[in-house]
Amino acid sequence: MHIVVTGIGIVSPIGIGVEKFWENAVAGVNGIASIQSFDVSKQRSRIAGEINAFDPSAFLSAKQIEQTDRFTQLALHAANQAMTDAGSLESYEPRRLAVCLGSGMGGFSTFEYSATRKFQNKSVPPFSVPRIMANSAGAWIATQYGLKGINLTCSTACSSGANAIGMALDLLRSGKADAVVTGGAEACVLPLTMSGFEALFALSTGFNNDPAHASRPFAKGRDGFVMGEGAGILILEREDAAKQRGAKIYAQLAGYGCACDATHIVAPDMDGQIAAMQAALGDAGFAPDKVDYINAHATSTPLGDVIETKAIKQLFGEHAKDIPISATKSMIGHSIGASAAIGSIAAIMTLQTGTIHPTINLLEADPECDLDYTPNTAVQKNVQTVLCNAFGFGGNNASLVYTTS
Amino acid sequence: MDTAELEAKVIEFIASKVDNVDASTITTASKFDELGLDSMDTIQLLFDAEDTFGVTFDGEEVKTLRSVGDIIDYISKHPPEGKA
Repeated sequence: MHIVVTGIGIVSPIGIGVEKFWENAVAGVNGIASIQSFDVSKQRSRIAGEINAFDPSAFLSAKQIEQTDRFTQLALHAANQAMTDAGSLESYEPRRLAVCLGSGMGGFSTFEYSATRKFQNKSVPPFSVPRIMANSAGAWIATQYGLKGINLTCSTACSSGANAIGMALDLLRSGKADAVVTGGAEACVLPLTMSGFEALFALSTGFNNDPAHASRPFAKGRDGFVMGEGAGILILEREDAAKQRGAKIYAQLAGYGCACDATHIVAPDMDGQIAAMQAALGDAGFAPDKVDYINAHATSTPLGDVIETKAIKQLFGEHAKDIPISATKSMIGHSIGASAAIGSIAAIMTLQTGTIHPTINLLEADPECDLDYTPNTAVQKNVQTVLCNAFGFGGNNASLVYTTS
Repeated sequence: MDTAELEAKVIEFIASKVDNVDASTITTASKFDELGLDSMDTIQLLFDAEDTFGVTFDGEEVKTLRSVGDIIDYISKHPPEGKA
């Protein structure tokens, strides 16, 4: 049974809508800038991949805006795009239409705002809880489109989006749904959340005056990830049913693997990453040499990029140096639970167009990062099989395999 | 603020918060449900009114507020802090 992608939608710092995102990704456009949304004078990391052009009032009523956190608004916009792209799902029973979404932090912009009011002895906004809860984006998407089947939210930090897509694949394979709206959304360019990541020394702090060069996966001088925000949504269906209703098919989602390090709550572990990639390839029934592009997790932390490089080398052996790799985060920063959904869309666009987007800011590679990361300029290649990685806090590693349908 | 002024301001505020209601038809006697506001809408309305009018609605007392006039009475009896 083949599961295929029939609709995609994206809200990212380098473009709202797939066309704009992909045009900019291929051109290597930087989406990182000084933070505009709050006063950063007390932050150590003062830059982010924000989506300043995003205007919820363009598609939501004042009341809907009042009742939704920004991460839900981003998810709803991406879902609108994906649903329009996929065309009518009316041939399916509403109870067979599922939602399976990922978010690492959920409605944290609401949490930070409401908590601040509480500590100032002000009333707490009545919609605080339904805005904060991680499943609010999934619930709003379901309500908007009458999707009355299974509705799940997966929260595994930076791999949330990948696991949500993997869970959606399993729902379709097991026959528990006929179509699934899946992906991830995140909006935590926020003072408290970012201070938390700063306290772990996870964020870039050395490029506040040069934001365009801060997110530099695999490059010398990288000093942490740059916070990002966004949403990526995919519509998944069984291939036969999708063809029957005349849907456009972007790609096949052929495999999903997840493995936990079970070693450390934040430090990456090569073995767990290898296990996730291996499981995804095994699930797809592919040998490693079938992979001809990797959309890497690659967040631009000093340790993470080296571990991922080592994991790829260990799993793919001699073939590793022949596989082009690229880091979408070099342009948009790290949108946590949305990142693997956005990476998946980049992977799908590569399968569609034969273009691999570059890893920008890679003028001089870290000597320990010695693979082909598609530095600075897009390349053309007939890509049939893509591996998309996402590794999260909690030692949670997830990989997805997409192929041409 | 005298009563007439407060009444006008509260009605103007309510008019800005309801959909599909002719503002000129809103009076002190208008009940929230007649204005198309469900219980959650009403709680949100009162929350917004707190910031607008500088009052704090008591958690329990809030449940007894049913109409535009109830809000006006409440604000009159609980003048904004420092402005009594």
